[in-house]
Amino acid sequence: MSKPIEELKHEIKILIMSTLAINDIDPKDVDDDKPLFGGDNALTLDSVDAIEIIMAIQRTYGIRIADQNIARNVITSITSIATFIESQQANSAS
Amino acid sequence: MIIPNYKHKMAAHCESGTITALLNHGGLNITEPMVFGIASGIFFGYFHKMKSFAFPTFIVRNKPGQMRTNIEKRLGVRFKTYDFKDPVKGQQMLDQLLLQNIPTAAQVDFFYMDYVPSWERVHINVHFLVVAGKDANKYVISDAYFPGMVELDSTSLEKGRFAGGNMSPKGFIYNLDKIPAEIDYHKAIVKGIKKACFYMLKIPIPFLGIKGMHMFARKVVEWPKFARDNEHLSHEIMKINILLEDQGTGGAGFRFIYATFLQQAAGMIGKPELKQLSEELMKIGDGWREISLFSARIGKNRDLGPEKLKQLSDMIHDRADVEEQFFMSLSQAVK
Repeated sequence: MSKPIEELKHEIKILIMSTLAINDIDPKDVDDDKPLFGGDNALTLDSVDAIEIIMAIQRTYGIRIADQNIARNVITSITSIATFIESQQANSAS
Repeated sequence: MIIPNYKHKMAAHCESGTITALLNHGGLNITEPMVFGIASGIFFGYFHKMKSFAFPTFIVRNKPGQMRTNIEKRLGVRFKTYDFKDPVKGQQMLDQLLLQNIPTAAQVDFFYMDYVPSWERVHINVHFLVVAGKDANKYVISDAYFPGMVELDSTSLEKGRFAGGNMSPKGFIYNLDKIPAEIDYHKAIVKGIKKACFYMLKIPIPFLGIKGMHMFARKVVEWPKFARDNEHLSHEIMKINILLEDQGTGGAGFRFIYATFLQQAAGMIGKPELKQLSEELMKIGDGWREISLFSARIGKNRDLGPEKLKQLSDMIHDRADVEEQFFMSLSQAVK
């Protein structure tokens, strides 16, 4: 059975922060819906971080975000990442 | 006015996406990975010293335009092509085709595509898109990198179509002319794979295919000699990530899209071993992605000492070795 979405979102925040060695932000301060790139979220990332996150998601959840065009949309926010992971897991389960 | 029944679809790569869009509109049900594979799009070339490039670089796909000609030869479809010296005539012909409801592919300099955010715009003379309609002075553009169709004013499109410089588009446009009644996919797929294997394994040119990958690995440690300073070197090293991941490659320098082609081909030509090779290539692609990440990281951190470049070199040699084995197996599978 899949995790509740709120739990998944928290897990994604922890994953991003540990991947990028960010220790000075409380996951609770990271807004689920604000853009992760160039916005005013507590976590602000750049394109190099993006590829690290893509690979971390791949390793942790066993799903591949191959195409950068798709990746760009997926890693817009914590919510979009969680939604993508959920949909991929649902697809592979069906 | 948008051409009736024209459907926009995002694609991994501009050229294969554009060809696929025209074929789909013409009634041929074919996927982008299938177009890419049949057209032997996968490739590798390293250019250490060339007039056209200010700094050593590499390519991970075949020559721009070659996918279209390969698809014509292998599927028996026909495209009508036009190029122009005179921008006025170039626009007249495009407008004429649109009036006949013919979606028309155009080669442009990406920089002039105003719908692209300014920070993403770079001068690339070999960007392909479909012009899918016109409203007054604005063209309706179907660009495979964008989720929906966009508008572009005629001045910007003209600037893009008639930009100067290396590989200038010269107003080049093309449209689908004919789809044959019968297509021998088995023959087309096998031919596409054989040609790709030839380019990767046997082409007798030291900077192409697997030999080119090894050359890239050997020469990357010399890149500091070509750079003005550390900033320049870091920029060039970070470009490895862009060339592999971010220029419509579908990820990992086209390895993922080619793997998808093999997976689809396995069912179409009844060769299950291609499915296994597809899975292998996905893993090979992950290794290229590690190279992307490593390059981006050392470039970003300006951590470009000889030991890091040696590490990068070793990673590229390793990819060359696994790809050599992979293409040998692929070659055997379609013998």
